[in-house]
Amino acid sequence: MSLNADFAFTQGSLGDFAACARRFELRYIKRMRYPALEVDDPLQFEERTRQGARFHKLVQQHLLGVPAELLTASLADDEELARWWANYLAHGLIDLPEARHPEITLQAQLAGRRLVATYDLLALAPDGPAVIIDWKTGARVPSQSDLRGRMQTIVYRYVLAQAGAHLYAGESIPPERIRMDYVYVARGGERISFKYSTARMREDEALLSQMISAIAYADGFPLTDDLRRCRFCSYRSLCDRGEAGRLEDFDLDEVEDEAEEILTLDFDQIAEIEF
Amino acid sequence: MILADKESIALTEAQMAVARAPLDGKTWLEGIASSGKTSAGVARVLHLLERGAPAESILIFVPHRSLAQPYITALRAQNDYRGGHVSVATIGSLAQQMVDMFWFLVADAAGFKHPRDLPIFLRLELVQYFMTRAIEPLVDEGDYFASVRIDRPRLYSQIVDNMNKAALVGFPISEIGSRLKSALASGVEQAHIFEDAQTCALAFRRYCLSHNLLDFSLQLEVFRDHVWETPQARQYLRGRCKHLIADGVEEDNPASHALLGDLLESCHSALIIYDSDAGFRRFLGADPASARRLADRCDVRAALDESLVSGRAVKALGSQLAAQLSPSLAAAAGADPRPALITEAHRYHPEMVDWVARQVDMLVGQRDASPNDIVILAPFMSDALRFGLADGLRQRGIPVRSHRPSRALRDEPAARTLLTLARLAHPHWELPPTDFDIVFALMAAIRDLDMVRAKLLCEMLYRHGRLLPFDEVRAVAMQERITFALGERYDRLAAWVNRYINGERADAIDIFFRRLFGGLLSRAGFGFHDDVDAGNTAQNLVDSARGFRWSLDFFSRYDEEIDLGLDYVKMVDRGVIANFYLRDWIADADEGVLIAPAYTFLLSNRPVDYQFWLNIGSEGWSRRLYQPLTHPYVLSRAWLPGAVWTEDDEQRVSRETLGRLLLALTRRCRKAIYLGYSELSESGYEQRGLLLETIQGLLRRLAREERHV
Repeated sequence: MSLNADFAFTQGSLGDFAACARRFELRYIKRMRYPALEVDDPLQFEERTRQGARFHKLVQQHLLGVPAELLTASLADDEELARWWANYLAHGLIDLPEARHPEITLQAQLAGRRLVATYDLLALAPDGPAVIIDWKTGARVPSQSDLRGRMQTIVYRYVLAQAGAHLYAGESIPPERIRMDYVYVARGGERISFKYSTARMREDEALLSQMISAIAYADGFPLTDDLRRCRFCSYRSLCDRGEAGRLEDFDLDEVEDEAEEILTLDFDQIAEIEF
Repeated sequence: MILADKESIALTEAQMAVARAPLDGKTWLEGIASSGKTSAGVARVLHLLERGAPAESILIFVPHRSLAQPYITALRAQNDYRGGHVSVATIGSLAQQMVDMFWFLVADAAGFKHPRDLPIFLRLELVQYFMTRAIEPLVDEGDYFASVRIDRPRLYSQIVDNMNKAALVGFPISEIGSRLKSALASGVEQAHIFEDAQTCALAFRRYCLSHNLLDFSLQLEVFRDHVWETPQARQYLRGRCKHLIADGVEEDNPASHALLGDLLESCHSALIIYDSDAGFRRFLGADPASARRLADRCDVRAALDESLVSGRAVKALGSQLAAQLSPSLAAAAGADPRPALITEAHRYHPEMVDWVARQVDMLVGQRDASPNDIVILAPFMSDALRFGLADGLRQRGIPVRSHRPSRALRDEPAARTLLTLARLAHPHWELPPTDFDIVFALMAAIRDLDMVRAKLLCEMLYRHGRLLPFDEVRAVAMQERITFALGERYDRLAAWVNRYINGERADAIDIFFRRLFGGLLSRAGFGFHDDVDAGNTAQNLVDSARGFRWSLDFFSRYDEEIDLGLDYVKMVDRGVIANFYLRDWIADADEGVLIAPAYTFLLSNRPVDYQFWLNIGSEGWSRRLYQPLTHPYVLSRAWLPGAVWTEDDEQRVSRETLGRLLLALTRRCRKAIYLGYSELSESGYEQRGLLLETIQGLLRRLAREERHV
C-alpha cells in the first residue's frame, strides 16, 4: 500500500511524519481511524479544543461583516473566550494590510506533490507586506526558536510565496515581503513574528522536498524510538506504547488546525439517507 | 499548463466549445447521460483556472457531493497548479455553512427564542430523537396515526420528509396537511392522518424554534428567507461564485434552482449542466421542470446527445425498454438489443446468486474484465443478499466493495460489541444484554475466541448482568477447554468492565467507547487490534455519540437533565443511526466489484462495462416505498391545487420512473447487462414485477418481428 498519487501534504501530515513515520503510515496511507483517547482528561481537552475552534469562527464571522457587538453579546456564558475576543478586538488587526482573506486555503507543488496550507488570515497590500496571521488560544507561548522550527512556520510561509500571486495583484510575492505572526490571544494578544527571505525559502524548499521524497519513496515506516512522542498519539494501543498522556503536558495549539476537522459535522447525509 | 489542454484528454469539438466559452458567458448544456457533459464541465473548470480566474471565485454546485468527484479528481491531478481552492457545494452544505456563519445577524428575526446562543444543527438521527421528544406526548395523548400500521421511527421520518419537501419546494409547512388531504384523502380516517401529520410538523417546528435546533428544513428556510437577504451574506457568496458550474441540475430541487437563478444574475460566467431523461431523485425533491427554467437565464444553449459510453446494443436496450414503459421517454432505436442482454432463469434465489458469482468470475477470468468495471445492482440490498454475493465472489478471489447508505450502525459487529459492553458497564440503565449479545460481544472482543467457547463462558460466568472472573470456573477440564490464554483475556475484559462499574463516576458515552477501545479492545490479544474496519466503525460510533452529546449539552440549558448515554443507546437500538459518513464514500474508491442499490450506483455517476440487475421480478424496481404520510408528487412544485392523485397516476409514474431508471443505468453501461431472475424471491414468493414484465414484453416483440422478417 502506498500514498495516493493525489495526496496533499500539509503541515499536520509532515509534522506527523517528523514525529513518527509509523503514525504517518497509519493515518494517511492505511487511513486507519483509531478512536483511542489522546489525553487523560478528554472532556477538558475537548472543551479547550471547542473554545479554540469557536474563537476562530468568531474572527471569521467578524471579518465577513457580522458586527462585533452581536458577537460579543453571544459570549456571556464564557469568560475566557470573551477575554480572548476582547484581546482580538483590541490588538488582533492592528497594522494589518486592508485586503484580508480569512480561512483561505492555498496549494503549491513540490517534488511532484501537492502542498496545502489553510490560513486563519492572510492580509496583503499590493506592493506591500503579505502577512500570515495564526491565532493561538493556548496559554503557553513557546520559545521563538521552537516556533521557528515548527512545520507550520515552514510550510505556511513557503506556500504563500509559491501560491499567493493571485492575491497579490497577479505578481509573485517576494519572500522578503512575507511575514508570519503568531498571535496569542490568551496572552493579551502577544505577537511573535517571523520574517521571510529568499535564502530561507530555498532552505525550506530543500527540507520539504527531502521530506516529501522520503515519504514517497519510503521502504518502510518505522515506529519512533522516542516514547515521549507516543504519549498523545491515538495509535498508542496498536503499538503497545503505554497510556494516554497528561492534559497539562499537551500543547493544544498544535492540534488547532486539526480540531476544525474533528468539530465539523457532516450535514450532507441528511437528504441522502433512504427513509 | 492545465490538463484540459493536454493531448491526454480527448474532448470532442462540442465539448471543447463549452469548455472554452468566454469568461463572461453563461452556457446551458443539455444532453443524455454519458454524452460527456461532466467531462466538458471539468475541462471548463480547468480552462477557467488556466485563464487566471482565481480558484476561490469558482463554485461547483451539485445535488449530491459524490457527483463532484470527477471535478475533485481532475483538480487534484493538476501537477503544476499553484493557487487557491475551488469550492464544491450542495444546497444542504451551503445552507448550513451560511446559517452558521451569519447566525447572529438573523437568529432573532427568524424567530428563535435564544438568538444569542449558538445554533444546534441536527443530523437526521438527532431530528428523529428530538421529534420523538417533541411530539410523542402529543401522539400518545391524541391517539394520532391510530390507523397507520408502521413503526414510530418510520412515521416520524415521513413527517421530517414532508417538512424537508416544503422547504425544498418552497411552500409553508402549514400547507402540508391541506395539500395531502385534497389530493390523497379518500375518507375521514385518511384525512385525520394528514391532519395529525400537519399538527406534528407544526409542533416540531415550534419546539425547534424554542430550543435553537435546526433540522434540514429549518436550515434551508433560514438561509433562504433570512441569511440570503443580508448584504454580508450576499457579498460573501457572490465573491465565492464569480464563476459557477452547476452539474446535474435536473436531480436538484427548486430551492437549489432559485439560488442558482440568483447567482446567475451576479456571476461572471456559468455552465449549467442538465441531463435529459433523468430526474430520478424525485423522492428527494428533484424537479427537472424547475431546473429547465434556468436555461432562460443563460446566453448560450449547447447540446451533447451522442453517448460516448454505451455500445449499440446496450443503447438500443435502454431506449427500447424506456419507450415501452413510457411514450414520453426516448424513442426506440433500430439496433437489436438482445446481444447486450444475458440472462438465465432459476427457480430459487440462492441459485441466482450463485449464477451471478459464476458469471462475474467468468468475466474477470476469461474476458479480462476489471472488477472495478462490474456492478451488481438490486432495488434493495438485504444483508443476506449482500453477504451471499460478497461471499461467493470472495471465494473466487474477486474483490468486492459495497455501499448501503441506510445501514444501521447497530448492525456493524464492532458497534454492536461496544454497545453490549456499554449496557453491561451501566447496570443502572436496567438494559442488561441478552445471553446472545454477550456471546457475540465476547467473540468479537477476544481474539481467537470461537462461538462454542464464548457460549460456555457466557453460560458459566454471565450472572445477573455481571461478568464473573474466570477462576469461578471450577472444573479444570473446563478451564483447559477454554484455554488459559483465552481465559486470561476474558479476565482482563471482565475486570475492565467491573472496574468501570465500581468506579466513582460514569464517562460520557462517547468517552466510554474511546476508553474501552484504546484501553482494551484495540490492544494485542483483543478483537479490534490492527483491524481497520473495527477502527472505522468504532470511530463512526464515537462521532455519532459525541454529536449527540454536544447537541444535548446545549439543549440541557433549556430543558430538564437527560441521561445521555441511556438515550443514545436506546436510539441506536431503534436503528435510527446509520453508519454513513463521507469517509465511507472515500473508501469506496477502493478496488472491487460494487454491490449496491441501483440508485446508489447512479449517484456515483460512473460508467462501467457490465451491470448485473438482480431480482428483476421484484416490485421494488418500479414501486415507491410505502409512505402513507408523504408523497413526492403531491408535495412538488408542479402539483396543481385541488388535483386528486389516482391509481392511474400511480401506474403512470411507476412506469415513467422505471423507464428513467433503466435509461440512466444503460447509459452508464458499455458492454452488457446480466439479468438475475429467480421465480421465487428471497423470501419465497412468486415475482411478477414491472421490470420483468417489460423485459418479457420486449423479447416477445423482437421475436415476433423476427418471425415477420
